[in-house]
Amino acid sequence: MSPLMFSTLLLALGLGSTVTFSSSHWLLAWMGLEINSLAMVPLMARPHFPRAVEAATKYFLAQATAAAMILFAGMTNAWMTGQWTIEMMTHPLPLTLVTLALGLKIGLAPVHAWLPEVLQGVDLTTGLILSTWQKLAPLALLLQLPHGNSPLLIILALSSTLIGGWAGLNQTQLRKILAYSSIAHLGWMMVILQYAPSLTLLALLTYIVMTSSIFLLFKLNNTTNINALATSHTKIPVLTLFAPFILLSLGGLPPLTGFMPKWLILHELTMQGMGTLATITALTALLSLYFYLRLSYSMSLTMSPNNLLTSPLWRLRPHQPTLPLAISATSATMLLPLTPAAFLVR
Amino acid sequence: MTPTHFAFSSAFILGLTGLAFHRSHLLSALICLEAMMVSLFIALSLWTMQLNSTNFSASPLLLLAFSACEASMGLPSLVATARTHGSDQIRNLNLLQC
Repeated sequence: MSPLMFSTLLLALGLGSTVTFSSSHWLLAWMGLEINSLAMVPLMARPHFPRAVEAATKYFLAQATAAAMILFAGMTNAWMTGQWTIEMMTHPLPLTLVTLALGLKIGLAPVHAWLPEVLQGVDLTTGLILSTWQKLAPLALLLQLPHGNSPLLIILALSSTLIGGWAGLNQTQLRKILAYSSIAHLGWMMVILQYAPSLTLLALLTYIVMTSSIFLLFKLNNTTNINALATSHTKIPVLTLFAPFILLSLGGLPPLTGFMPKWLILHELTMQGMGTLATITALTALLSLYFYLRLSYSMSLTMSPNNLLTSPLWRLRPHQPTLPLAISATSATMLLPLTPAAFLVR
Repeated sequence: MTPTHFAFSSAFILGLTGLAFHRSHLLSALICLEAMMVSLFIALSLWTMQLNSTNFSASPLLLLAFSACEASMGLPSLVATARTHGSDQIRNLNLLQC
């Protein structure tokens, strides 16, 4: 792909999300989402391999359907109540429709099936964009919607955390595991959305930091399945030592960053008097924790029995820039002391 | 619910049902997507005509332009899939499942 074409597509990727962030009208929000997903498809199909092309086609079908459903919900709301504004979508039927469509766009659980397959087909850099930047625009729309006290978000959230943990247990491919971890994290964001939207933003921020560090780590290691993780000790010993902390931070263990959103969300749910929901959500996080533990076990707690793999290689200076990985890995493990006190004192 | 509203809603839902349940060819999925977008275009045009407002008069054209862009992204992916997978049957798209 020519550099001109590539930079145009990257610009359009940023422009689409920005249009959606700054719009209050459904048509403009839809146009932003369309620009965004139309720019993403050629980026995914950039290596003309069958896997990449298939992933791009599946991504296109899911995103086009979701965008059409979003516009249909906006149109139904306009015909019923005469309002095009995003905050004014008060009728329950279009509200349900648009929540499901936005769930399809970001890959929430009953409509999540495209996300693992698409993420499996693209390379790690595109996967990083897909699982961080592409979530922002639909989540901005979800945050602006006037959710009442609807059970739909709770159902979406619970099934996301459950399926994200459960289906990831069976996988050996890193990108599929990361896709299911993304589904589970999105479930955590959804469960608190109607009670404390600022906590959703906090969970999204920490999720982006942790996911980008783990994607950059796998990119530097050049691994896409669990077996290849065992050789990372010979390539980058220090990072191999550091990787379990990033993985356990994704799982949400206490002294690390990932504990912050889970702690605050459980705290807020308990304060709202929803102890059962908080308990079930916390228990489903154990399922995800299992495969993070398995990843960190096979990456740094075992040595491969093969002699060639355990003997250290001649290490060259890595070709790709390591500063983003250093920054995101540090903040993925050490940000817990920066927990905003405003969430704790009330 | 006015008859017009019922008409475009049922057209859209028919397109969506076809997209979701008739999964034999990729081309038919793209045609169903186009049917959905055309029903939305008709709905937006009728809304603009009923409102008699000049503010909204450009919006159906914007919608049509964007749905044309979407179709022009769908057809290349159809061609690319046919070149990599041999045909446009959706059941051939099975490399990534496991």
